[in-house]
Amino acid sequence: MLNYDFMRNALAASLFVSILCPCIGIFLVLRRYSMIGDTLSHASLAGVTLSLLCGQNPVLGAFIFTSLSGALIEFLRGYFKKHTDLILAVVLSLSVGTAITLISSGKLHANADSFLFGSVLTVTRTDMILIAALSLVSVSALIFMYHSLVYIAYDEEAAVIAGVKVKLISYIFSILVASAISVSIRIVGVLVLSSMIALPVATALQLGKGFKCTLILSIIFSIIDIMAGLISSYYLNVAPGGFTALVSAAVLALVLAAKQISSAIRTTATARHTS
Amino acid sequence: MIKTENLTFSYTGLRPYILDGIDMEIKDGEYVSIVGDNGSGKSTLVRLILKLLKPTRGRVETTANRIGYVPQRSDFSGSGFPITIYEMLASYMKLLKIYDKRALDEILRLVGLEKHSGALAGSLSGGQSQKALIARALLGGPELIVLDEPSSGVDNDSQRELYGLIKKLNIEKGITIISVEHNLEAAVANSTLIYHLSGGRGHFCTPQNYAAEYLNPGGKENKNA
Repeated sequence: MLNYDFMRNALAASLFVSILCPCIGIFLVLRRYSMIGDTLSHASLAGVTLSLLCGQNPVLGAFIFTSLSGALIEFLRGYFKKHTDLILAVVLSLSVGTAITLISSGKLHANADSFLFGSVLTVTRTDMILIAALSLVSVSALIFMYHSLVYIAYDEEAAVIAGVKVKLISYIFSILVASAISVSIRIVGVLVLSSMIALPVATALQLGKGFKCTLILSIIFSIIDIMAGLISSYYLNVAPGGFTALVSAAVLALVLAAKQISSAIRTTATARHTS
Repeated sequence: MIKTENLTFSYTGLRPYILDGIDMEIKDGEYVSIVGDNGSGKSTLVRLILKLLKPTRGRVETTANRIGYVPQRSDFSGSGFPITIYEMLASYMKLLKIYDKRALDEILRLVGLEKHSGALAGSLSGGQSQKALIARALLGGPELIVLDEPSSGVDNDSQRELYGLIKKLNIEKGITIISVEHNLEAAVANSTLIYHLSGGRGHFCTPQNYAAEYLNPGGKENKNA
């Protein structure tokens, strides 16, 4: 498998993606914004189709369009304070409408299907370098804003009182989400991208640890999910995105089962000890 | 010192106002309990003092460089959030640009949570949660601490401990306290002044006068007074 250039590129790109996605995902999940990931991943498809129409790099196009969509969501949040779900519907309609119109026009210079389902074959060396660069910049920005992001997610009012510029940080964060999504669509595809953002975090949350520990566990689960999904999909000859989502769900189910069993064992032990 | 002038607020910016021309002045070192019926604007008033809301009219001035805030526990979305007490305080310290970890350990000792620093915030009892929030409010050496119903969801024994701690901070450290109170007995027992809000307006009275004018012997507000 590693004899193939495209597979080496895919594995390297997957490693970056598997670190970046949960780093972004933990803040989205804890702010109850998981569905933003889904909306922005569809926005990225509009960016991809626009790039393919203009003959530009699709990852870059996805990044720009998704960033603008993220900023639009933040901007509209001020107008739809009580109906934030409506904002997602608006941005989703705009993005999917753009993507479907462009794909159906037949004027694209390449096939956009690989971005819908994810395909290791589409990861070129240039893409890999772009993915690495965007991932490094995003993770560095996240480390720099870590404490502000933790507090915006945990207790936004306390963050405001401590002098955190919540609006500015939220805009920067939406650009980071856009970055994570645009670098991930090559690997997992638009349709199951939100699962890569939310599922490793959902799995880590089951273990009831502190923030840093949950973040580290999310990254570990994410690496397991993506690598297992990618390698299995190579041998099974299926789309890596779909299979990665299945692996993520299976790992979550395993952790939930292990948690149930361990809780049952503890209850039995306590009952024996009491009697 | 906290001073408000003609402080007026409604969420729409139009009448009816929740607060209608509040003029109040709180001197340094006071322990003021804000009391009043549900919906009388107690929490709104402290949110205006904290600058979490913008007044419709009028203004708030404060000389305090650092204000600590202890939110209402029911407002506090902490339960289920994966954060330990130590992480909650350490992250807040970083936001306040404090880098001395000894200050954190000292505050944990002061509120009696040094043995719970590794516990998840959502796993603590009502009293311990309030202590953790007071610990956070103490970071950075505040001149003023604003509390929103500190005893809600806290059992009687923990309430006594909690008010003892707040009083200690007021007397020994000279921190000005503004506390929104439903617990009128605690308000009368601990405050140096009571601010009674009703119909969008308010007035100060001493705890003794408040008790004589508004309370029945059991510490319940006398609506007919």
